[in-house]
Amino acid sequence: MELDYDLAFYVEMFARTFSFWWVILPAIFLGLIVGAIPGFSAANTIIILLPLTLAMDPETGLTFMVALYASSRMGAGIPAILVNIPGTAGAAATPLDGYPMTKQGRGQQALAMSFVASIAGGLLTTVVALISLPWLAQIAFYLHSVEMIVIMFFGISLIATIAAKDTLKGLIAGFFGLMIGFIGTDVVYETPRGTFGFLELYDKVPLIPALVGLFAISEAFAIIENQSILTERGKAAMGKPGWAATFEGARIAASKWWHITWNSIIGLVIGVVPGAGAAIASFVAYQQSKTYSKTPELYGTGHVEGLIAPESANNGVTSGTLVPLLVIGIPGGATAAIMLVVLQFHGVTVGPDLFLTSPELAFGPFTAMAVTYAIMVFSVLPLARYMSNITVVSTIYMAPIIISFTLVGSFVPRAYLFDMNLALVFGVIGYVARKTGYHVAAILIGVILGPLMETYFLRAMKMSQGDIMVIFSSSIGNTLWVLLVISMALPYFMDYRRNKAALNDPYG
Amino acid sequence: MDFDDKIDLGMSRRDILKGSMAVAGAVAASTMPFSKAFAAGYPDHNLKSYIPTREGGGADRLHRAITGVWKNHLGAAFEPSFFPGAAGRVGYEKYMGLAKDDMYELLFGNMGPEVLNWVVKKPTFDLNTFQYFAQVDSDPGIIFVSRRSKFKTIDDLIAEGKKRTLNVGVSRLAHPATLGALALGRHTGAKFNPIPLSGGKNTRAGVATGEMDCGALPSGGIVNRKKGFKVLLMFSHKNPLPGRSENAPTMNDHFKTSMPSLIAGSRAFGVKKSAIAKHPERFAKIEKTLKEVFKDPAFKKAYAKTKSPWEFVGYRDAAQAAEYTKNIAKIGAEFKDLLTGKKT
Amino acid sequence: MAENAEAQGSEKVSIGSELIIPVAAFFFTIYYFITIWNAPWTAQVAAFIVGSILLFLVVLIVIKSVRSLSSGEGELNFNNLVNPKSFIPKRLGLLALTIGYIFIVPSLGFTITTFLFLSMAMLVLSDFRKKRLIFALAATLSLGGYLLFIVAFKTRFPAGPFETFMKGFF
Repeated sequence: MELDYDLAFYVEMFARTFSFWWVILPAIFLGLIVGAIPGFSAANTIIILLPLTLAMDPETGLTFMVALYASSRMGAGIPAILVNIPGTAGAAATPLDGYPMTKQGRGQQALAMSFVASIAGGLLTTVVALISLPWLAQIAFYLHSVEMIVIMFFGISLIATIAAKDTLKGLIAGFFGLMIGFIGTDVVYETPRGTFGFLELYDKVPLIPALVGLFAISEAFAIIENQSILTERGKAAMGKPGWAATFEGARIAASKWWHITWNSIIGLVIGVVPGAGAAIASFVAYQQSKTYSKTPELYGTGHVEGLIAPESANNGVTSGTLVPLLVIGIPGGATAAIMLVVLQFHGVTVGPDLFLTSPELAFGPFTAMAVTYAIMVFSVLPLARYMSNITVVSTIYMAPIIISFTLVGSFVPRAYLFDMNLALVFGVIGYVARKTGYHVAAILIGVILGPLMETYFLRAMKMSQGDIMVIFSSSIGNTLWVLLVISMALPYFMDYRRNKAALNDPYG
Repeated sequence: MDFDDKIDLGMSRRDILKGSMAVAGAVAASTMPFSKAFAAGYPDHNLKSYIPTREGGGADRLHRAITGVWKNHLGAAFEPSFFPGAAGRVGYEKYMGLAKDDMYELLFGNMGPEVLNWVVKKPTFDLNTFQYFAQVDSDPGIIFVSRRSKFKTIDDLIAEGKKRTLNVGVSRLAHPATLGALALGRHTGAKFNPIPLSGGKNTRAGVATGEMDCGALPSGGIVNRKKGFKVLLMFSHKNPLPGRSENAPTMNDHFKTSMPSLIAGSRAFGVKKSAIAKHPERFAKIEKTLKEVFKDPAFKKAYAKTKSPWEFVGYRDAAQAAEYTKNIAKIGAEFKDLLTGKKT
Repeated sequence: MAENAEAQGSEKVSIGSELIIPVAAFFFTIYYFITIWNAPWTAQVAAFIVGSILLFLVVLIVIKSVRSLSSGEGELNFNNLVNPKSFIPKRLGLLALTIGYIFIVPSLGFTITTFLFLSMAMLVLSDFRKKRLIFALAATLSLGGYLLFIVAFKTRFPAGPFETFMKGFF
């Protein structure tokens, strides 16, 4: 497939998309709201609004869905930063540094940073995707099960990164999470494992109840000991709300433009692979960011890079998932799958020919996404100032609200009462973990990535008919293995060099 | 095996006898004036459907199309509840555990994979207490490849399969389409290694990206994507979609076998047998009105929204459904060791 | 999070509570192993690898704990789990209300249960002050939630008498 579209074509496409501002604007706000509530994914919202989108012509419908999707990804970061509750699994790495900032009274700044990282990351990757569509789509042809195993290890190695403070406890939390993630039937022969006899656990531990329990419920029980989420120091630092903090946050984020670029590209590449999603991308981005940082010890304490890495990566995923959908007709994720349904409803067949037959539909989603991100600069960034006020609400009100709305949110995806009970169980685990110094994020990473890793591993093993060496059978995979080893060893090497330098420097 | 026998027996002779007796009784009862008056009070409120898959899926869309028209014939609407999980197991267990036997609560499932489920692992309820009474569509299992694949015909594929083991992407192991691939391998001597990819979407992705040599799925999701995929073989007695599948041959025609039709997608309504026994007149009304739906032109219109080929639609009664489940369970039992990992 | 554990820096490390997670992990892993003992290898391989490492880590932390006990750095108590003790009644009250919420919501529905839960939980946490504000807040939030999720988004929240009654109007 050749790209012989000239500049005029792109200009025309963008102008055309801007004329849909009246669809994009409401979709942005709707997306922010649904993204912020655990249990309400963009995919579910789009399903609910399907009658609406099906009634629109395909271009309008697609624009609406794309805008909703992009902004919900950003919305999920809001509660992650402000109240330590990621709205979706894709934002699970966001609170690692976002929430400490909030506690220090820098909530507004953190929001502004995350918005800028999300918008810039999203915008940039959308443009990159737009330009390199045909080449990007090839990624899915090279990253198969074997390569995905290594990518999973990149994500899981984040457990070790998080566990830096107390390695043994961190590893126990992470491996406990992995074991919990293995609950359910095995993907090949569907043997039920560790389900305690509950049929509801056959399809693995549902992620939203786990997320709600580990983060929200346990957090609610922990915060009641304080008057508000802010620490005393944070209260003093927060001062009067004004525009200054928003500008400051935006300025800081903008100064890290290289970091945003690099991590959003990670998101884009991972997003292109069908099945891999925002959760993996943000974990990998965080881990990479910390590995190559000059100040890895600051991660987890409210470090700027620790916040913008996962946020730019999970927005990079949004444009990534659209690539295989439009180029080879394979949706990269749930939301993309629904877009496919809508397109088919209108008789549009996606695939390589789409670029020839109806370029406005093939390029439309990307220009729509770019325009959405551009509009968000003016519509969403100013909101940071008002949103951050939530942190000064007394915990007397916050804790019950968090519990009731997230509990019922854990019910929504499957409509099983069982899932609310499950959220409570995870709440207890999360509470004990927090109180005794085990990292809940490490547990969650295990729960999310454990089953994915196992799936790719078993698939590869089944294909090789039981030959374990299959995991070293591809050259791309082997290159990734080497990179993994380097990225795991690098922090120790850097430490060593720093120490050596300090020893050699008599004035250090 | 004890369980396999049970499925065979349960679903075949004894069941059909019982079922047809119930049906006969119901038909007889409904012709009697007093019982007609009795059935006239039914239904006086909405019916409930248990659907063992996710809301918004294929079963949901088909159920919507059917009940949207059925309500006009029956005089009551259907309220679906969804119980996804464990390949349908959750839905059946919930239905058998929770539903009352007053003929107001039905199950709407996909017989093939769900019956195979029970061959692999027994449910907690007694299979003889449940019965499918109306199959509403039949989507044959197929072997397909990506358009980029070097295999252009089923013979190309078989020839290669005799040289090396081919990876066949399947939705799950206990699935009629998987059985088709295994049976094909057994008959031709080609080596097929089925790789379960959890669902049709992932299977198509696996085949499209070239990780799988070919795939085995119900035809519906493939014939709609003619530009990406090519159908090589069908596991039914007749190709219902010659135009949309480039005249793909059937296994029986091409390889001169006499396999039973391996319909991979076969949605059906089921009910507790105790409900039929208790309310034969209500059951008769359900059957009669459901048959009317298939003659109603409004249904064809509603069905068009599901995007599935109309050729799949067809009403088959309890005996035909039982025949189908018997065949599937039988072939499933033959490959049981492969499906449960006792043999690889 | 970690700060909570560190807050009791002056006291001895409370080994009892720090062992809850490892002990839970230990028993869960053993239980998991039992469920896959006769399963095909595909169901076992990943769990046996990860589970064995987990068991090894648990043994390590137990050894570490025993050493800190014998050296007098740690104490076998559950202090950092229950501290600050003044909050124990509130915490237990909130837990009881949360369990109550899960049990009542299927029959009373989202709106009524949420109102009851919010008002009672807020009353408990505020030592039964500001009653008016709390009732007003709980009513606004539960009704707002009803309008947003059930009316506008048609979300399948648990329905009760209120939702059924209001169905006639929307």
